[in-house]
Amino acid sequence: MGMKNCDEVFSNISVTSHALRQGKILGSTEAGFAVLKDIEEASKSCPEKFPRFLLEAVPSYLKARPTSVVMKNLLREYLDVFLRVASREGLKDAIAQTPQHVESIIENVENIKDAVATLGSKRINDGDIILTHSYSSTIIKLLQKALDRGLKFSVIITESRPIGEGKYAAEVISRLGVDTTLIVDSAVRFVMKRVNRVFVSADAVAANGAVINKAGTSAIALAAKEARVRTYVTAGTYRIGLETVFGELIEGVVLSDASLIMPEDKAKELSGRILVKAPLFDVTPPEYIDAIITEKGVLAPQAIPLIIKEIYGWPPRLRPPEELLEEVRKYVS
Amino acid sequence: MSAEGIPEKTVRIREDIRKMIIRGAGKIARAGAQALAEAAKEYTGDNLKDFLNYMERVAQYVTSARPTAVSLPNAVSYVMIRLRRSTPASVEEAKEVVINAAESFITYSKEAVDRIGKLGAKRIENGDVLMTHCHSTAAVSVMVHAFNQGKISKVYVKETRPKLQGLITAKALSDAGLDVVLIPDSSVRYFMKRVNKVVVGADTIAANGAVINKIGTSLVALAAKEARVRVYVAAETYKFSPRTVIGELVPIEERDPREIVNEEWIKRNPQVRIYNPVFDVTPPEYIDAIITEKGIIPPQAAILILMEDYGMSIQEIMTKDIEELQDDELRE
Repeated sequence: MGMKNCDEVFSNISVTSHALRQGKILGSTEAGFAVLKDIEEASKSCPEKFPRFLLEAVPSYLKARPTSVVMKNLLREYLDVFLRVASREGLKDAIAQTPQHVESIIENVENIKDAVATLGSKRINDGDIILTHSYSSTIIKLLQKALDRGLKFSVIITESRPIGEGKYAAEVISRLGVDTTLIVDSAVRFVMKRVNRVFVSADAVAANGAVINKAGTSAIALAAKEARVRTYVTAGTYRIGLETVFGELIEGVVLSDASLIMPEDKAKELSGRILVKAPLFDVTPPEYIDAIITEKGVLAPQAIPLIIKEIYGWPPRLRPPEELLEEVRKYVS
Repeated sequence: MSAEGIPEKTVRIREDIRKMIIRGAGKIARAGAQALAEAAKEYTGDNLKDFLNYMERVAQYVTSARPTAVSLPNAVSYVMIRLRRSTPASVEEAKEVVINAAESFITYSKEAVDRIGKLGAKRIENGDVLMTHCHSTAAVSVMVHAFNQGKISKVYVKETRPKLQGLITAKALSDAGLDVVLIPDSSVRYFMKRVNKVVVGADTIAANGAVINKIGTSLVALAAKEARVRVYVAAETYKFSPRTVIGELVPIEERDPREIVNEEWIKRNPQVRIYNPVFDVTPPEYIDAIITEKGIIPPQAAILILMEDYGMSIQEIMTKDIEELQDDELRE
């Protein structure tokens, strides 16, 4: 890929934002990485307008995926470093060091994911039938680690509508050599009697331990509770919605594209009285979750504030991205 | 089963049922009754005992077209019970019993859906928001009646993968003037908070009141229970399964994986198993009431319907079972 010019860098903002909104970039970590990569690219291809780029791009990304706590946390982390370097060593250095900062944030997240996968894999027993939902690279890693330890288990995975990424997850998991079964989302309660454990990832974790993840997760957790099957959620601490401590709600994205549900030709002849509503995320209450697996340990969901305190102090000392952006504004000439 | 000595009209109806040209519980049931009536009309002998034996044979023959379709044996026994309990003096009189019983069943079953709608609508309150799953003419009837009475205006309809029967329901409701919100199955719990009542149909109802219906129904009922939303099942009485009275399980059919993923996907991923059960079982404790054309009953009273309406006593079913067993043994 050759160097882009400033125009291309700026027009890419809406491309990425659109992909985030439509769930084309699905995983929350993937979403976070995608926007960091855009920032990295901009710092290289368009250093002269870089602060302006941040002011335009960051709010656009955040608006496109309001649920993505990961994106918010990673952007906050980046802006923090950027502003610190800019005030100490000057704007030029802060821009020049951006690729290096982005890489280090990404590397840190990868390390956390690896630690989470290791801890989580210990919760699998030989012979388990595991149910999972949607596609999560952490869950795939976790399964791989359990396999590496010589455990034998099988996996049931839902299609995970409306996007249907469970089909892709089925491909990936089966290629690990795991006995894999694909079911429709509706069949979750039907198969739950046979399942030993549910493993899902989280897009975000609220301060009360509630888990925000792909739509369908909360129904799975409910069916698991009914059948006395344990539900584990993998979530590195960078997925904790710190603002929820101050009462902020994590908003969900609801798509209304008829073609998400039915073939295009049928969608066209749909009567005006029929409205499609397809939420991408839902909230699983903490009482349906047996443990949240973080890189700091396997926790009760109610213990999330403890982790927040350990990392950010209590109450957490946070600067919202909006405030950080205000500071960036000083560098726009 | 041999079709020997059975008139062509009856054979043709049975074949249409067997090949699933005739589909849907109500249509199958009415066709079954019709097949018996045709067999009676075409009978030419004048020995009463021969006729009665002949009708028993026809009944078994018709029932065997689709052994798992519960409405078919029910329709057949509706007619046959009336014949067995009658005391005809001649073949002509016996024929009349069969033809009348079949006709009364057919009219009755045609009116059943409308009656269910009227009764069920009484359970819907002003301003209710409903949710439904799959497609059921009985459930649609309840919702449309409630709408026509001005009680409701909006229904959440689940897409109902893999075959998307939710689209049929969405069309039926919107054609009647209702506003429909079509939602993916995965969002059932998400939307349950905004719903007051769930109305679904049934494929089969077991003697204990458990409801066998399209996959996903039990998850809807569970999510409703959690949210304290009432669940109503709209079902004609011929969907109650007599065989479950003697402990038989309702088999859950597994269908073609290609309903979920396409041929090309399967070829690419031969190691992935696609599990596609058509039905699931909703336990009676998750159901607030079953709306039948005979009245609204708690699911636990399902046995009442079976014994009263289809003349099924445990004795009768058991005896029939034993007779069939002996037949099999004799043949071996």
